[in-house]
Amino acid sequence: MPPNRTEISKIILQTLHELGEDLEKPELQTADESTRLFGARSELDSMNLVNFIADVEERISDEFEIDLILANQSAMSRSHSPFRRVSSCIDYVMELIAAESDAT
Amino acid sequence: MNKIALITGTRKGIGRAIAEHLLAKGWIVAGCSRRSSDIENPNYHHFCLDVSDEKAAMRMVRQVKKEHGPIYALINNAGTASMNHLLLTPAETCRSIFNTNVLGGFIFMRECAKQMTRQKCGRIINISSVAHPLNLEGEAIYASSKAAIESLTRIAAKELGPHGITVNAIGPTPIDTDLIRTVPQEVIDALVQRQAIPRLGTTEDVTNCIDFFLQEESAFISGQTLYLGGIS
Repeated sequence: MPPNRTEISKIILQTLHELGEDLEKPELQTADESTRLFGARSELDSMNLVNFIADVEERISDEFEIDLILANQSAMSRSHSPFRRVSSCIDYVMELIAAESDAT
Repeated sequence: MNKIALITGTRKGIGRAIAEHLLAKGWIVAGCSRRSSDIENPNYHHFCLDVSDEKAAMRMVRQVKKEHGPIYALINNAGTASMNHLLLTPAETCRSIFNTNVLGGFIFMRECAKQMTRQKCGRIINISSVAHPLNLEGEAIYASSKAAIESLTRIAAKELGPHGITVNAIGPTPIDTDLIRTVPQEVIDALVQRQAIPRLGTTEDVTNCIDFFLQEESAFISGQTLYLGGIS
């Protein structure tokens, strides 16, 4: 049974909250779905975003045994990055999971 | 605690020698090749995969971490060659060599570096070849793939250096392995004569360089390619 949106949201927010603790950034520790991940108003620099993406990939793999590559061609070629906000990131992960389920 | 190394192409040749060398030193080694391995050691864990298969590589890297802990060293050794005149080289040969030697190396670097950046330490060693600096005739595609790996090494060293990861390459001379078994003896002899030290290399020459790049004191050495046999 593939994970639902609530489960993915929980993983992504938990990852972000923990990253906020590591980086001592209160805005990330209280992040919600409207929090910006990418761009000038984000609390994450490019390397933190890379680490965040790697953590999310790993957690999804650990919890649901689904191996996703978030930074793939489809993400990079979109006019609006799926990593601009937490909500768009969750939607994007759900898309990838649906595509993965269709493929198997 | 034992350090963990991931080595690609461990079924035979240089990869196998490196795996056995690190196992003897107490490392935990995860190795891979298309076919199964007969390395028997409780600290050796083999995965059958094609290194250019992105998903399979990703699964291996994650499984190694899950079962043994974060990977400290990646040794990108898997490689393939095909000796042929440029005019007689099929496009499929070119695609296959680049898939294994460049794409495979890149995928493993990216996936292992994701773990290493979080550990804020790690060593990546790519196996190149003297075929690139010698511009070997008959090895256009193989030498080009190694040039690509060396460029990847230098750029990755810059991008990953701030995260405590060193990235280096080793360029062995011909070694008596399956990779050169089909190369005519006179070609090997001529090649050896171009070296400052004119003899075939050994796997021990390579493991010596591996030890050098892995030792703690080498934390300030990155982006380098170390050629054997006095080639520069």
